[in-house]
Amino acid sequence: SERMRKFKNKGKDAAALRRQRVEVNIELRKAKKDEQILKRRSISFRLMDESLSLGEERRNEIIQLSLEEIVEAVNGSNTELQLQATQATRRMLSRQKDPPINQIIELGIIPRLVEFLTHADNAPLQFEAAWALTNIASGTSDHTKVVVEGGAIPAFISLLSSPHMHISEQSVWALGNIAGDGPLYRDALINCNVIPPLLALVSPVTPVNNLHFLDVGFLRNITWTLSNLCRNKNPYPPLDAVKKMLPVLICLMEHEDKDIISDSCWAVSYLTDGSNDRIQIVVDTGILPRLVQLMASPELIIMTPALRAIGNVVTGTDEQTQAAIDAGVLAVLPCLLRHAKPTIQKEAAWTLSNIAAGPCQQIQQLITCGLLPPLVELLDKGDFKAQKEAVWAVANFTTGGTVEQVVELVQSGVLKPLLNLLLAKDSKTILVILDTISNLFLAAEKLGETERLCLLVEELDGLEKIEALQTHDNNMVYRAALNIIEKYFSGE
Amino acid sequence: MELSDANLQTLTEYLKKTLDPDPAIRRPAEKFLESVEGSQNYPLLLLTLLEKSQENVIKVCASVTFKNYIKRNWRIVGILVEDEPNKICESDRIAIKANIVPLMLSSPEQIQKQLSDAISIIGREDFPQKWPDLLTEMVNRFQSGDFHVINGVLRTAHSLFKRYRHEFKSNELWTEIKLVLDAFALPLTNLFKATIELCSTHANDASALKVLFSSLILIAKLFYSLNFQDLPEFFEDNMETWMTNFHSLLTLDNKLLQTDDEEEAGLLELLKSQICDNAALYAQKYDEEFQPYLPRFVTAIWNLLVTTGQEVKYDLLVSNAIQFLASVCERPHYKHLFEDQNTLTSICEKVIVPNMEFRAADEEAFEDNSEEYIRRDLEGSDIDTRRRAACDLVRGLCKFFEGPVTGIFSGYVNSMLQEYAKNPSVNWKHKDAAIYLVTSLASKAQTQKHGITQANELVNLTEFFVNHIQPDLKSASVNEFPVLKADGIKYIMIFRNQVPKEQLLVSIPLLINHLQAESIVVHTYAAHALERLFTMRGTNNTTLITAAEMAPFVEVLLTNLFKALTLPGSSENEYIMKAIMRSFSLLQESIIPYIPSVITQLTQKLLAVSKNPSKPHFNHYMFESICLSIRITCKANPDAVGSFEEALFMVFTEILQNDVQEFIPYVFQVMSLLLEMHKNEIPSSYMALFPHLLQPVLWERTGNIPPLVRLLQAYLERGANTIASAAADKIPGLLGVFQKLIASKANDHQGFYLLNSIIEHMPPESVDQYRKQIFILLFQRLQNSKTTKFIKSFLVFINLYCIKYGALALQEIFDSIQPKMFGMVLEKIIIPEIQKVSGQVEKKICAVGITKILTECPPMMDTEYTKLWIPLLQALIGLFELPEDDTIPDEEHFIDIEDTPGYQTAFSQLAFAGKKEHDPVGQMVNNPRIHLAQSLHKLSTACPGRVPSMLSTSLNAEALQYLQGYLQAASVTLL
Repeated sequence: SERMRKFKNKGKDAAALRRQRVEVNIELRKAKKDEQILKRRSISFRLMDESLSLGEERRNEIIQLSLEEIVEAVNGSNTELQLQATQATRRMLSRQKDPPINQIIELGIIPRLVEFLTHADNAPLQFEAAWALTNIASGTSDHTKVVVEGGAIPAFISLLSSPHMHISEQSVWALGNIAGDGPLYRDALINCNVIPPLLALVSPVTPVNNLHFLDVGFLRNITWTLSNLCRNKNPYPPLDAVKKMLPVLICLMEHEDKDIISDSCWAVSYLTDGSNDRIQIVVDTGILPRLVQLMASPELIIMTPALRAIGNVVTGTDEQTQAAIDAGVLAVLPCLLRHAKPTIQKEAAWTLSNIAAGPCQQIQQLITCGLLPPLVELLDKGDFKAQKEAVWAVANFTTGGTVEQVVELVQSGVLKPLLNLLLAKDSKTILVILDTISNLFLAAEKLGETERLCLLVEELDGLEKIEALQTHDNNMVYRAALNIIEKYFSGE
Repeated sequence: MELSDANLQTLTEYLKKTLDPDPAIRRPAEKFLESVEGSQNYPLLLLTLLEKSQENVIKVCASVTFKNYIKRNWRIVGILVEDEPNKICESDRIAIKANIVPLMLSSPEQIQKQLSDAISIIGREDFPQKWPDLLTEMVNRFQSGDFHVINGVLRTAHSLFKRYRHEFKSNELWTEIKLVLDAFALPLTNLFKATIELCSTHANDASALKVLFSSLILIAKLFYSLNFQDLPEFFEDNMETWMTNFHSLLTLDNKLLQTDDEEEAGLLELLKSQICDNAALYAQKYDEEFQPYLPRFVTAIWNLLVTTGQEVKYDLLVSNAIQFLASVCERPHYKHLFEDQNTLTSICEKVIVPNMEFRAADEEAFEDNSEEYIRRDLEGSDIDTRRRAACDLVRGLCKFFEGPVTGIFSGYVNSMLQEYAKNPSVNWKHKDAAIYLVTSLASKAQTQKHGITQANELVNLTEFFVNHIQPDLKSASVNEFPVLKADGIKYIMIFRNQVPKEQLLVSIPLLINHLQAESIVVHTYAAHALERLFTMRGTNNTTLITAAEMAPFVEVLLTNLFKALTLPGSSENEYIMKAIMRSFSLLQESIIPYIPSVITQLTQKLLAVSKNPSKPHFNHYMFESICLSIRITCKANPDAVGSFEEALFMVFTEILQNDVQEFIPYVFQVMSLLLEMHKNEIPSSYMALFPHLLQPVLWERTGNIPPLVRLLQAYLERGANTIASAAADKIPGLLGVFQKLIASKANDHQGFYLLNSIIEHMPPESVDQYRKQIFILLFQRLQNSKTTKFIKSFLVFINLYCIKYGALALQEIFDSIQPKMFGMVLEKIIIPEIQKVSGQVEKKICAVGITKILTECPPMMDTEYTKLWIPLLQALIGLFELPEDDTIPDEEHFIDIEDTPGYQTAFSQLAFAGKKEHDPVGQMVNNPRIHLAQSLHKLSTACPGRVPSMLSTSLNAEALQYLQGYLQAASVTLL
């Protein structure tokens, strides 16, 4: 059947048709607003902190310290002053606007703050230092670097097991920021064995169904930090680390808090954004049905990462794609293709395009589950980003589908919106459409219906658009257009 | 070359000579310049001259020469091409890059343009890596305040960045764009703001405004290029600035910027037009982010349309503006912007109707430039016209507002028709607009779905046809109101699938009548309409209009068509010629009585146009018509072929003698057709020509190859024996053609066509001495460059050979080239590749050939080849049962493009000279599966027990099942 499959795809195999998430590493656009946040600064007081530290602050009133005084106090040996200075630092770093991260770093006190983390006898100092360092680590890569090079990684990891819950929580947060910086620090954390104590905070002391006894905010932080430990490619996180985190993430996905669900979905979406063996690890956990269920969630913050995860899974092998189909993805997609938000439309269409890249049995399921009408609608009226993906879906469909399936596609009205998109201002999209048209003609030839298809294309104003493309500035576009005209529309 | 005054002087002299009209002076000078352009400092000398020469003409000449030099030589092709060394030395390259920008900016406009082009050519190669400071250098000039300089920079930037509009997304491209954005986006934005400021301070200074507006146009163009690939972060953050200013520029008017010219668009129009494009880009691609601004643009553009005049200079602006509205109104979430009845009415009344009117310029084109008019009106190259844009807007609006729009227009149509009725000779343009409106409303239905014959309640197409179209066409004079006649004929053409057949039949004599109209547009449309009607399909795949229904009109149709070719301006009218071809094809034997006159007229035409062939379509249809005449006549009376030869050969000889390249491939095709009509031995007239067909020069032209091969095949089919007996000395020449063709990846299949005909038709003894050499040639090609196409043809050939000469002969010839070769061919080629063979006949040849190898080749049963017996049988069953393997290895995907030189030389195949598919196996084997069963049966009776035991031990179960099916169907059992 290997040869059969090659035959179906006319020389391109399914893996080449499936398009991974990233084709271009350079972004011109603003960072996407619906991406998960990489690093966070701790700004507002949480209730628990207030009750803990308010008393002290009252006692000390609010002492304004100059930067010089801070340096002196931090480097001095008076623990009272150390606390005051650290607190003042933390407060500056926690203000809403323009925290003076650079100035604080320039004071050269970071190694000292890291050292405070180890003062197990002085919990308030540990806490303030942890908080201040969290906020420094939330800055740019250079900022994070200073914290890491100050030796914060082992210090924070050991604080995960602090008897004081708020210190442990603050450390989780700081570690999340460090992990979020990129693969280098993420792996540094993993190598320092961050995972066991982190997971210990969730399981086994607090079994899953008891999770809500733990403060929800704390659990959110843990989930977020775990997701950062799963994040980033080049390289991917080590496999054994992934295998350790996955079971916990899957439990977290059952939680009732939507932020926790969201972040655990993000984590899984990162884990699936890679090679097929990484996808397989996720598929093997049996989580796909839950992910598909979450894809249909009314909450955008849940739907988005769940859809991404499933979208990634169907970039995998035919079997992995089949697992997603068996989990019911095709039943959910129509709704998402019609979603009001353009990015959801786009992701859904991308997912569909990769399912359409599969063998004809999967294409048949796609037809049976009624995906063609929403696909045609999207092609006709969707946002441009989504239309582009829909074009790919149609292209893959016509490459891998049987003649009968292609006929069904044409009968569902795909031709008109497809031909309209020849006016798109995107060379690649135009080229993909022209390739698709060639595929349609190949199918028509097999049926002896070439003439009818010519007529249809002409009636739908496609011919004049293809003709106009013969003067397109892009060489490949112009050639593809010329080729179609010469083959099917010249002479008798 | 040193940078010396003497050299400058020499160069000046030669440059001057290159401007001389006398080629005897000019050519040597050009040659000289070319010979020195590889010398160091040559480009620097040119730059010096274009800056410092005393004579302006030398400056300009030096700048043009410089640009062309850069164009030819800057790009370093790569080390692979040894005979094209790098002509510009590194130090010159560095010096050029260091000096060219300031030089360009300080030069007068004429020279600036040349240098700007040169910069963009250099930039295409060197920017950004090898020219890192270019951007900074350019941006710094923005500060200069000198708009002459600034425009130079902007123009250069535009030519550097405009490729972002059509190139594919790639890491490399986006890295460059990001770099450009980082350096350029902010200064450009500041310049934009500053320029707009200056426009208001200089609002009363016409010459300053002109410069400033040129800048704004370039800035707007740069905006388009920089925003094309994706919405850059910078522009998203600064959308407010850009869009607010674009919006106010759209609404701006300044009398000082208005031009008197009616044709040429002025600066204001060009700017607004570009802004419409920019808004359309955002609306299409970045809808989510652009949404807040869009309604303002809709209003502004709509107002712009309402206030813009009918002059030609506004055409591009108006059509861009209307297209913008058309694309927006289709989007569901902007529906509300158009919903209001007053808005709709106003758009229909003030935007659509005025732009559908037939303008003076259209009338002029109709009369004086009819070819262009027809191309625009008929063939849809009207994409940029106002009418077309208006038509698209109607369709766009109908998507959501079909009812109201229909209502509004139905009132208009009626009132326009009434106006016309009051005084047709004055108000005929009203009717034209009414027809156009109906057409644009109704053609929406045509595109929607088959079966819908009416657009909506407004347009009863048939009623409108009977009441308003037919009366015009029935009027006594075919020359009255030619525009309305053309409209009417076009109506028939467009709605031919909607108007009932009986109405079409009523129209046919009217159309035939209008072939006589003086207006080129009218008689062309009439011919085209007839042609289209004749191609319509009725039930059970026959033509809708039958020859019997046309019987009463045959004579007048043919007479008028040929007469139309004599009307002024239509002597090579392709529509008429196509209609002639189509009429022949439809009428078939009813044209026979007219053939003598027809063929005379066609040959005269052929003789006339062969002096200077200029209309490829016309010529093509003319040859098609000739072929049809031959076919139709000879089908009824085969002996008539002689009279055609008599009529045509004289012209053909002239064409061949004068080497009329465009016609030679056609002549070969017609000759093939004529030759194939002969039932007996080949006439001597053809044999006389035979040696000439083998001349190498004929085979040099790609376009000649297919028809020549076809002609040689016809010779072999009809005259193999004559060739063998009377022209045996030409056989090596014939094989030489085969050898030449087989060497080319593009033409090897043609070589096989020829070879197959030789094998099939030539008496075996006549080619005996060459056979081994043929196989050796094929093997050499197989070793040097194996392609899928070659393999497919090769497989067909060896199986044909096997059928013709026997399986044993095939085995022997292979093994005579090299021992065990036969086994290798079976194992490495036939068994693994047979699934790739395509085509009914080809598959049949292979099936029969392989069957012979299996059953009629003793070495297959009793030598080491025996181990291949089962795999070969399995491959054969695969050929019968599995889908064709149409994969092409990746590396072969581009072969055809590389090997096919431009499309102009492509062979123009005549449909009606078409060769019938030829099956060399023919009656010999009807069903190859049954044939296999029977042959196996025969084999098994010769050696009882062996075949079943081989089958049962190693044939794959599925294949065995199929085989048993064949045996059953053939009612045989294996012993």
